[in-house]
Amino acid sequence: MTDGPLIVQSDKSLLLEVDHPRGGDARRAIAPFAELERAPEHVHTYRLTPLGLWNARAAGHDAEQVVDTLIEYSRYPVPHALLVDIAETMSRYGRLTLAQHPTHGLVLEATDRAVLAEVLKSKRTAGLVGERVDDLMVVVHPSERGHLKQVLVKLGWPAEDLAGYVDGEKHEISLSPTTPPRVEGGEPKPWEMRPYQAQAVDGFWHGGSGVVVLPCGAGKTIVGAGAMAKSGTTTLILVTNTVSARQWRDELVRRTSLTDDEIGEYSGARKEVKPVTIATYQVLTTKRKGVYTHLELLDARDWGLVVYDEVHLLPAPIFRMTADLQARRRLGLTATLVREDGREDEVFSLIGPKRYDAPWKDIEAQGYIAPADCVEVRLTLPESERMTYAVAEPEDKYRLAATAAGKNRVVERIVAQHPDDQVLVIGQYLDQLEELSNHLDAPLITGATTVRERQRLFEAFRSGEISRLVVSKVANFSIDLPEASVAIQVSGSFGSRQEEAQRLGRVMRPKADGRTAHFYAVVSRDTVDQDFAAHRQRFLAEQGYAYRIVDAEDLGVEA
Amino acid sequence: MSTSAPRRTASFSETLLSGDDERLVTLLARRPDLATPAPSSLLSLVARASSRTSLERALAGRDALELQVLETVLVLDPVSGPVPVDAVAGALGTDDDPQPAARALSVLEEHALVWTPGGPPGTAFRPAPGLAEILGPYPAGLGPTGGPDDLALPFSLPADAPPGAAAVLDALAWGPPVGVAPRSDPAARRAVSWLVEHGLLHATDDRHVVLPREVGLALRGGRTHRDVRTAPPVPDGPVLGAATVDAESATAGLEVVRLVARLVTTWPEAPPGILRSGGLGVRDLRRAAATLEVDDTTAVAVVELAAAAGLVADDRDDPPSFTATDAAEDWLGDGLGERWAALARGWSRSRRTPWLVGSRDEKGALRSALDPELWRPWVPRLRTAVLDVLADAPGRGLRPDDVVAALRWRTPRAVPPEQAVVGLLREAELLGVTGAGAISTPGRALLAEHDTDPAAGPSAPRESPAGPAEAFASVLPAAVDELLLQGDLTGIVPGRPSAALERLVEVAADVESRGAATTVRFGAASVVRALDHGRTADDLLTELAAHSRTPVPQPLEYLVRDTARRHGRVRVGAASSYVRAEDPALLAGLVEAAALRHLGLVQIAPTVLVAAVPAGELQAALRERGVVSAVEGPDGRVLVADGTRRRRAPDGPGRTVVGRRRRPGQPDGRAAGAGPGTDGAGRPARSAELVARLRAADRADRDPTPATADDDGPAAPGAPRAGLAARTGPPGAPTADGAPGPAASGPEDDVPAPAGTRGTTDPVGALGLLRESIADGTMVWLEVVGTGGFPTRRRVRPLTLDAGRLRAQDPARDAELTVAVHRIASVTPDQP
Repeated sequence: MTDGPLIVQSDKSLLLEVDHPRGGDARRAIAPFAELERAPEHVHTYRLTPLGLWNARAAGHDAEQVVDTLIEYSRYPVPHALLVDIAETMSRYGRLTLAQHPTHGLVLEATDRAVLAEVLKSKRTAGLVGERVDDLMVVVHPSERGHLKQVLVKLGWPAEDLAGYVDGEKHEISLSPTTPPRVEGGEPKPWEMRPYQAQAVDGFWHGGSGVVVLPCGAGKTIVGAGAMAKSGTTTLILVTNTVSARQWRDELVRRTSLTDDEIGEYSGARKEVKPVTIATYQVLTTKRKGVYTHLELLDARDWGLVVYDEVHLLPAPIFRMTADLQARRRLGLTATLVREDGREDEVFSLIGPKRYDAPWKDIEAQGYIAPADCVEVRLTLPESERMTYAVAEPEDKYRLAATAAGKNRVVERIVAQHPDDQVLVIGQYLDQLEELSNHLDAPLITGATTVRERQRLFEAFRSGEISRLVVSKVANFSIDLPEASVAIQVSGSFGSRQEEAQRLGRVMRPKADGRTAHFYAVVSRDTVDQDFAAHRQRFLAEQGYAYRIVDAEDLGVEA
Repeated sequence: MSTSAPRRTASFSETLLSGDDERLVTLLARRPDLATPAPSSLLSLVARASSRTSLERALAGRDALELQVLETVLVLDPVSGPVPVDAVAGALGTDDDPQPAARALSVLEEHALVWTPGGPPGTAFRPAPGLAEILGPYPAGLGPTGGPDDLALPFSLPADAPPGAAAVLDALAWGPPVGVAPRSDPAARRAVSWLVEHGLLHATDDRHVVLPREVGLALRGGRTHRDVRTAPPVPDGPVLGAATVDAESATAGLEVVRLVARLVTTWPEAPPGILRSGGLGVRDLRRAAATLEVDDTTAVAVVELAAAAGLVADDRDDPPSFTATDAAEDWLGDGLGERWAALARGWSRSRRTPWLVGSRDEKGALRSALDPELWRPWVPRLRTAVLDVLADAPGRGLRPDDVVAALRWRTPRAVPPEQAVVGLLREAELLGVTGAGAISTPGRALLAEHDTDPAAGPSAPRESPAGPAEAFASVLPAAVDELLLQGDLTGIVPGRPSAALERLVEVAADVESRGAATTVRFGAASVVRALDHGRTADDLLTELAAHSRTPVPQPLEYLVRDTARRHGRVRVGAASSYVRAEDPALLAGLVEAAALRHLGLVQIAPTVLVAAVPAGELQAALRERGVVSAVEGPDGRVLVADGTRRRRAPDGPGRTVVGRRRRPGQPDGRAAGAGPGTDGAGRPARSAELVARLRAADRADRDPTPATADDDGPAAPGAPRAGLAARTGPPGAPTADGAPGPAASGPEDDVPAPAGTRGTTDPVGALGLLRESIADGTMVWLEVVGTGGFPTRRRVRPLTLDAGRLRAQDPARDAELTVAVHRIASVTPDQP
């Protein structure tokens, strides 16, 4: 028994005491194979999952290393059954490999006859594989490469994909050493990739395909640009929405040798196919008469690289399309591997294993994202509203609580406390947002705002021309508001973890002057609003952000 | 054949009997079945020793090596006479170390399975008579004697042997020694007949041949057995460190103690019923599994362990249910080591076969947990055998297959059912007797205790905990008294929580993960639970802070305070009656009044008081103080005086039923709902006394003393309290009172009295009874004097009483009747 920082539970969770002298070493040692589940201040919880262990295998770690690491850092003897299970699980990865055979083409090879027999016997592999070459090899239909990988993960025998990639059409891309000035007449600024970004690019390139996990604001776009430069081929970039597409384009023009003419936008509004094409998930998943009409984009050019932005939001049809893209290099970018729909295994099998991961707090500690102060403001509803709420139908309760009139005064108060900050007010309900917009005399951006108008407002916000902005959930994803240092959330969609990560991301871009970011959530006391808030708080706390709860009265707001 | 037993029986018995007593004592100790029932003579003892059943029994306990040695002796004796040790070792191929063979022979001799003719014991051996029949016609796969005895070793066929002869001999060499003579193949036929001619085969009939023993032995190179193991098979594999094994054992042991503790604390709250067949129903088992948060199989094991340790049992109630025993109380107060030891001891003595739960018996009925039929006498023996196997392979995680293989070597003639071995190993792992499949320190201590205490039966009294308890305590990780509190409302105990800390987190938080450390989460529900247990927000925060190195995180503190703020916002309590008034000052005065203290008045709102006494008493007391009150019904409306008296309410102190019965009537118009108590320790005696008095009173009642309007006829004076006699008996018809003249008929209280006494002929009383019956919709016996002057009795449900007429329904005749009140001779409530 040592006095290690790690406690290994038999339910496969690992508890890491961060303040322990060897806590840092232990964290680095277990990071490759354990998923960080929550990271509050004293004890971080990691979990061992088959996917995590396979990710580790894919990264070249073996069971013995994992077991040794656990034993080395564990405070108590490690449960024997767990060690056996780790060895068992890890040995499953790599028994099957997908490879190119000189004569048979794409084949599935096994090192173990029984395993191959087992997977071929399953009904799920029927039709995905062709002739059995011998005891240890079977031909795979090239078109089913992705489907087969999906099925094999489900069967518990993930295949290592060594079949390689098509080179794709060459297209020279390089990172530019300087960024052009934001304002006319300014000096171009030199820049280079941050060390972790470079590591992420290397990790991805070395692995072939896979996912890079970086927190919001940590510069995922640059990782994408770096991968493109490394690839030097035509690239298809899939993003969540048009605004995000424009930002990718701007960023690529700023950071790489690409010019505006080389970058095409393939969205609802425009259908350009250029050496680098940025398409939205939405346009790809548009169906007409039951057929995906824009699928040809995927074959429009001989893409050498496909980049998926916000992998955790990848819609189901994209998975299906991705299954057919297995011969091309794929890079997934995300802030979290956790999917609310639990399809992590599809990401693993179709995009690839995790190639790089850095905990938020680490990056924050490196000064790349702003430290955040999270505050929940509890508002006591006045008697009349409480009565209305008490007798409301269950389906109306959240709306009633979330849009309580008192919140306006709280928001005003908070805004008044931050006279010099760029303040973003985020909400779910349009009438509430309109009211707030009027109250604060701040512009409002909703789904109905045109892309042009949105960009104008964002630019004005960015440049400091306006300092208050009210946005609906369109702001959740991929808009770049570098100087928003205060975010106030007045209503949200039922406490989704995703949303919380995104909203926090809004304010966590590094600040020019290193200011602390503030994140406020205004909730109505003793209502479902508070329950949902509890869920979000938990997420924040698990991410290691200390949060406080204050009463609205303490802010000087009269109920 | 080798059976020369009859010829030698005499000398076997002589040898046996001529030995000293010590030998016989040893024999009886080794083969206890010979001593029960006590044999009449030593000779019959010897005869019994060579009887088939006794020999079978003796053989069942022998291990593979001993059986092989015995077969060797049996095989060689007819060939070469009494067999010395080295001959046995040679035949087994263990000549380089004859010790195992020698040991086996001495064991066999102790069991009188082999004996030494003539000379000193232990030189050369013969098999005990009767063994040949049991070990079969071809012991060790060798045929009968009678072949050439001059065969040289190594054996080789003469050059003139026909081709194929060697193949025939090889086929029969290692048994079975009987072959079918070929008919069609001429070459083979020639070979066989050549072998028969040369005495190397015997023809038993025209189709079969047998290989004589001597030839077989020669072909085997003088060996009797090919694969001889002198020790049980031990599987290969990494040896686990003692620390690992003990840590697993501690984890398992702690968990099982926790589960059993939970079981014995939750069962008394909602005792599960016992099936007619005596077991625990599937639904109750599932419920237990859900409570314990384990799967059904584990739940069965836990329930059985608790029962084996005497912590839960049939409560012998009707209907019967399982509940915790008194021993469980003590057990819960014991230290961890003692608690574990109690469970382990219970298990080690148990004859139960819980692994059969869930399977079906011969009749197709599902076997349930705690089913009294689920026991087998051999379970303790098998358990010891299994643990012995584990003890012989220290540090090795044995799988059930390995254990079965070892047991097969230990007793080849009595291989235990694999299911039972699997079941026992599972229980051992669950208890922590093993850890990761290897026997643990506490397990070893348990085994040691068991070995030294073979007489301890299942009903042996619980002796003072010794070895196992200390052994278990020694493997436990050190208790941790620290709780790491975090901003996400979780807390982590980085180790085994100390008793105080465990109690705190079990109450104030929900456990999320258990194991080497305990992870808990605080939530509104768990904080409420802590508040319910009587802690205040400050208590709880202080306690948490005391266990935490860091200050309590702000969100947690906020949660506790916020929950405490809401806790108790809605309150529920019990009160017997209440006082409402618009005037807070009036109520405040009542609360303060010393004279009313006995009413237990509590102000719960400015305009509401609650009282601990029934409404009637309360009202009476208030009236005494000059506070005039009206009585409200359950719906808040003011009642007429009748209503309150029907209610049954607890008795005040100092009043007896009898005394109340004698209470004089009170002036009318006063409601008094006070009734007699139905509780009290002296009740049976009082009841008897009461009945006696009632009898007397009954007679007095029959005495037709007319009651006056203001006095209750049958009642005796002496009751100290005001109020009319009220109905308080078992649910039955209420008494008549509230009529202008109270005509309460006391005897109805508490004891059913003969119908005649319960009714009344008093017109006023009769009217009262009728009114009451109308209000309650109950039945009465009505004695009506008809036009002819004869009374008739009818059982009716009175409907209305109005203008001197009673309208009533007679359900028996399905008719309605209207009777003039003056024709009603008597009314008797109908006792349901």
